[in-house]
Amino acid sequence: MDLPRYFVDNWPTLGPQVVTHVEIVAMSMAAAAVIGLFLGVVAARSERFSSLILSVTSIILTVPSFALFGLLSIWVGLGNPPVVIGLVLYALLPVVRNTSTGIRAVDPAVTEAARGMGMNPSQLLRRVELPLAARVILGGIRQATVMVVAIATVGATVGVDDLGQPILEALGRSGGTLVQVLAGVLPVAMIGLVADGVLAVAQRALSRGARREAAG
Amino acid sequence: MITFDRVSKRYGRITAVGELSLNVASGEIVVLAGPSGCGKTTSLTMINRLVEPTSGTISIDGRDTAGMDVDALRRSIGYVIQQVGLFPHQTVAENIATVPRLVGWSRPRIAARVEELLELVGLPAAGYARRLPAELSGGERQRVGVARALGADPDILLMDEPFGAIDPIVRVRLQNELLRLQRVLHKTIVFVTHDIDEAVRIGDRVALLSQGGVLEQYARPVELLAHPASPFVAEFLGEGRMVRRLALLRVRDARLAQHNGSGLPTASVSADASLRDALDAVLRADGGRVTVRDAGAVLGVIDSDAIREASR
Repeated sequence: MDLPRYFVDNWPTLGPQVVTHVEIVAMSMAAAAVIGLFLGVVAARSERFSSLILSVTSIILTVPSFALFGLLSIWVGLGNPPVVIGLVLYALLPVVRNTSTGIRAVDPAVTEAARGMGMNPSQLLRRVELPLAARVILGGIRQATVMVVAIATVGATVGVDDLGQPILEALGRSGGTLVQVLAGVLPVAMIGLVADGVLAVAQRALSRGARREAAG
Repeated sequence: MITFDRVSKRYGRITAVGELSLNVASGEIVVLAGPSGCGKTTSLTMINRLVEPTSGTISIDGRDTAGMDVDALRRSIGYVIQQVGLFPHQTVAENIATVPRLVGWSRPRIAARVEELLELVGLPAAGYARRLPAELSGGERQRVGVARALGADPDILLMDEPFGAIDPIVRVRLQNELLRLQRVLHKTIVFVTHDIDEAVRIGDRVALLSQGGVLEQYARPVELLAHPASPFVAEFLGEGRMVRRLALLRVRDARLAQHNGSGLPTASVSADASLRDALDAVLRADGGRVTVRDAGAVLGVIDSDAIREASR
């Protein structure tokens, strides 16, 4: 059976799986971006917290995903919840690390001038540090997104009906074919590439936009 | 007026500033000068509380700064640093608008103020307002830094080696511009430098500090150069201080020999020239005498004896 044919025949199942996959990734990344940004800001301020949070998030990344999802499903049940929580945990490291690095990379003379002019810490963060670190932070989000798109397939093992499902079925059956595996893998790769492209454009637009806005 | 009353700053067992007492009169430029490690920058940043004193009080017009809201205090004081620290993601106009925005000025008022300040520092708004800091030369950036510090029209300006990273020719130009600005603005300026030539050129008064923030001498530049209070001061002032002092004195202030109308020396100097320029002219003139003119009128004649007398 050839691949295009398979896609057409199985679209009633594959279509919703694509949607679920994208939803799970979007939900996880939205949460990871908010939490990661917050933790990254704290990490930029405190050396001790920085080494703690970076160690913890690194260790999380070493846990095999099917084990993590399985463990989480013991507490939160099967389906989407353990997968979203697991993906958020995986996505934290790049977001936290890049946020903290981006803020620390701001020229000390710039922050000294800002403080000397009477900006309080929150004004300093919103008006100076985050805009200057935005490019690096978005780079972390981009990296995490691409990673999470791939790992989300493993969610099928705890009952998520996403693009991991066709792959899992093909692998678990003696009659599984390469075409079936590819039917899951190719859309995942496509989603990953599209997400990467969109965020790359956003990253460029952000640094240009920040300048244009300032000029207007 | 800014008053330091027995102000100390200690880091563990190291004393950066020791029991410093000093008055900075309103409308004057006071230069804190000294070698590195003398606590001059620490003393400066204790005024806007970027560094908090360990003991002693700093008051502005009689009010203890320790009791003020720290952000409000800083917004009321202009601050210029050597690396300028312009916000790279903001235009020149946005940078200058920083403090006015923080204190909540209206948009039209801010726009008018930005234009006024750019004009003041010699950067026409039409050509500069929308530029980014990366598109400016070092001298232009420092001018924008000064304009930004003047944003909300503070009474006090703190300048931490503002021209230290600028090449010598542009530095002299910026120093002269600062003096020109000060004649218009009458701010109370505290200026830190390790360059004694800059100190005596810029300062109405110079506070010379030694290691550990000890005040060695606090005097007007002409006094400092003529009568160093300690060997440390003399050494820091370096060679040729009497000649350098001549640069600070005006021909107008010397006792000029009266003339009888005939036999005036052909060489002449302006009454507003420095005595150093007059000495140069005297040394070049054939008869060792030079006519002093003030807008065409002859004030008298100056020679080396008159210069020597005026320099003491």
